[in-house]
Amino acid sequence: MKMKSSALITVLLGVIVFVSSCSKQPLNNLTQDETRIYITDRDSSANFATYKTFSISDSVAVIHDQYANKALTASDSAYIAATTKYMQQRGYVLVSRSQNPDIGVDVSRVYSTTGVINYYDYSGYYGGYYDPYYWGYSDYGYYMPYAYDVYQITEGAMSVDMLDLKNASTNKKINFIWTGLIRGEGIFSADNADTQVKALFDQSTYIKANN
Amino acid sequence: MKKILNIAAVTIFLLVTSATVHAQKGDVKFNLNYNYSMPMGNFKDNIISNSSPRGGTGEIIYNFSSKLAIGGAFGYQDYYQKYPRAVYKTGPNETTSAVLSNSIQTVPVMAKLTYSPAGNGGAVQPYLSGGAGAAFVDFKQYLGEFGSATNSVSFVAQAGAGVFIPFGKLSAAGLRLGADYNYVPYNKDGFGALNTLDVHAGVYFPIR
Repeated sequence: MKMKSSALITVLLGVIVFVSSCSKQPLNNLTQDETRIYITDRDSSANFATYKTFSISDSVAVIHDQYANKALTASDSAYIAATTKYMQQRGYVLVSRSQNPDIGVDVSRVYSTTGVINYYDYSGYYGGYYDPYYWGYSDYGYYMPYAYDVYQITEGAMSVDMLDLKNASTNKKINFIWTGLIRGEGIFSADNADTQVKALFDQSTYIKANN
Repeated sequence: MKKILNIAAVTIFLLVTSATVHAQKGDVKFNLNYNYSMPMGNFKDNIISNSSPRGGTGEIIYNFSSKLAIGGAFGYQDYYQKYPRAVYKTGPNETTSAVLSNSIQTVPVMAKLTYSPAGNGGAVQPYLSGGAGAAFVDFKQYLGEFGSATNSVSFVAQAGAGVFIPFGKLSAAGLRLGADYNYVPYNKDGFGALNTLDVHAGVYFPIR
């Protein structure tokens, strides 16, 4: 029954390695749905009841590091449709851009090879490529009065932003009043778009028109 | 975790070699135990409520009298819990809907004192034990698949009780059954203590 210390050490190390290999790996215990997170942030000074109409972009902004372009895949269309649906369910009336909407809604896909997106930088992209095309207020800069922490985005994210067009001329800038961000596996799927946009609105009960 | 295992391996080596060098023949025993750990207090209420069946402990015991022994102990325990999707406030006006997963691995390394009031005779030998040392804690928290990890070292103190059950009247080997309460004042990132109540079962045998 007696053991030499070297043999004992070998046994012990074997036991440690075995026991540690029995550890639960959190990422292996997630379904695809469970990998996803839904983050929303808002301008606390914005009163969503004062807005009545909105317009939504007819394509999706694809933001990749320092570059941006527009696209319209099946998934992009599903996101635009879902966002339109839930805005209307909250009482906002869809109008065209030429009808001076109170809220401008953009849907974006965000990618980063550097692994880090700072939302101040992200919002700055609108001042370049997208500003003239989307909302036609090229004389005004964009401003996000709130900010996410710096998030690591490597696999991509889907973003829905609301811009205050109603008060743009008064403020001399276009404020972001709400941002929803979706991250995780399977987010660029047309089949998942509706439930994911719904999740953003479900946790933002303050988005409601006063009709 | 690899770093923690390396530190634990070195510690075990030192414990085994020092005990075997200084002990007289037959005085040094080794315990190897399966450990079942139950989080208590703040650990259970706010971090992980699931008990952990994934753990083990080892202990080198040097009997310097029939009733008293000193030793060195080490262990490994894995705690994990996945909470259903919920909405968390993550900033002044920011909310995050996510499935939250907490994963903690602890590697305690302690000096221990064991007192057996009935000595080393009898078919069942009750004991009381106490210990103190350091616990290496690897804490990972995930929102969905997005995680953060914190490695740290915390003080650990332990009080325990149990029985030694020799295999035979003259045998220096046998079974060990017992329970320990571990006080781990982790207090990092506002998480509070990681105290646990553990039960263990294992074998002991002489190594010199």
